Amino acid sequence: MSAGGGSGPGGGGPARRSGEAFWWALFSGGGVMAALFVPAFVVVTGFLLPAGDAAVVAERAAAFAQAVGWWPVKVALLGVITLSLFHCMHRIRHLLMDVGLRRYAGALKLPCYGAALAASLWAAWVLWGI
Amino acid sequence: MSGQYHRPHRWAWWTERPGYMRFMVRELTSVFMAGYLVVFVMTLASVGGGEAAFAEWIAALGTPAWMAAHVVALIAAVWHAVTFFGAVPQAMPVFLGERRLPGPVAQIVMGYGPWLTVSAVIVWWVVR
Amino acid sequence: MANNGKITLEIFRYHPETDSEPRYQSYEVPYNEDWVVLDAINWIKDHIDGTVTHRWSCRMGVCGSCGMMVNGEPKLTCAAFLKDYHPRAVKVEPLVNFPVERDLVVAMDGFMDKLDAVKPYIIRDDVNDTSEGEYRQSPAELARYKQFSMCINCMLCYAACPVVGHEEEFLGPAALALGHRYNKDSRDEGQSERMEVMLSDEAMWGCTFVGECSVVCPKHVDPAGAIQQAKAMGAQEYFKGFVMPRGAGE
Repeated sequence: MSAGGGSGPGGGGPARRSGEAFWWALFSGGGVMAALFVPAFVVVTGFLLPAGDAAVVAERAAAFAQAVGWWPVKVALLGVITLSLFHCMHRIRHLLMDVGLRRYAGALKLPCYGAALAASLWAAWVLWGI
Repeated sequence: MSGQYHRPHRWAWWTERPGYMRFMVRELTSVFMAGYLVVFVMTLASVGGGEAAFAEWIAALGTPAWMAAHVVALIAAVWHAVTFFGAVPQAMPVFLGERRLPGPVAQIVMGYGPWLTVSAVIVWWVVR
Repeated sequence: MANNGKITLEIFRYHPETDSEPRYQSYEVPYNEDWVVLDAINWIKDHIDGTVTHRWSCRMGVCGSCGMMVNGEPKLTCAAFLKDYHPRAVKVEPLVNFPVERDLVVAMDGFMDKLDAVKPYIIRDDVNDTSEGEYRQSPAELARYKQFSMCINCMLCYAACPVVGHEEEFLGPAALALGHRYNKDSRDEGQSERMEVMLSDEAMWGCTFVGECSVVCPKHVDPAGAIQQAKAMGAQEYFKGFVMPRGAGE
């Protein structure tokens, strides 16, 4: 319960290597991807695509469709989306732990990382279909 | 050890310091970004659905409710980027011999600079 | 409280032989611009109430003994000036996130165990004979870890960290920064040994980079930065473990 209280992790046998390192690596890489790309994505799909008169919208829609139709762009998008999703769900999991669900640290992995994986597979399927 | 006093758990700890509240705001950006990413994939799906489906989806995104949602998403995404790149000097110090690269320089070279470049290229592609 | 040359200190009191719950006791002490909170507590102990129990030693921000909560903020009481609070009252409590032993004194056993767990000393595969001289280090190599070696174990960072309050397994800011300090020391060869401890479930990964440990640190150690750097090294170590099973490398 407190820094001075419990037995602490010092003694005993070798500590178990935790999968947290793996999730943290995804979180960290995803944080970079989300920071680099997501603000611009929001500007494009939230404001530049839908705003303006019909001719401008059609032109921008064509440019967008052309870009996301290229294989290198699709692969890059899948990478950005997947890593960003794992970043977000890792943060959400730890946020839930920090506000009182710490004892469910293990149980929260399945819904959080599962959701990130499911959404990533969906994105892969969508990109495949473009 | 008997006799020690253990203070009760503070479940509302995040209200206790301004720094804790800034932490909560930073972490909550991920909720809005995750929501946006789902909408982004929906946008990609509409592209896959053909020109008519894409045009219809774009028209929907032009409604005030979707616009408002994207304002929130933009604030969250920008705040995520600012806080993430803001932490670069702490998390990834660069040393030139005995000297450490000054924080603002590291932030610009390893964070804000690439961010603005990538953003400019993406936006330019659509509006050019 | 008017400015009448006095200042009130509200002290957290808890004597395990008589109290089941803590209580607060107010003391009025002379207000002196040059005084720090520690001077006021010492004055109380010398002139009003000898039963007030607190830890202190150097009075100059070096020993790390006098850390307490001052109006809710983790502070070295030897560096918290009364003039920054006067004429308001000053509330003094033991550091949060630690069990209270007596009045302003907290139990440090758990903290000591955590410091011990990160093996905060130079580990060598082969120890040179003293006749071979010292292990040499360049100023550039020293610069990599010097900041993290300034810790005085005052535990203010533990009081500022919400994860410390909730997660028993979490090693905490000072211990992790110290572990990182030795991992970054060019003379050290103990990184994989330390990582065995740091890579376990919540020992290090429990940190969510709230960052307040670095805000309250009186020595500008930046434990929050140290932990993020240690996580990156830990992740590398973790992935290396698949390529090169332990014992084979390093």
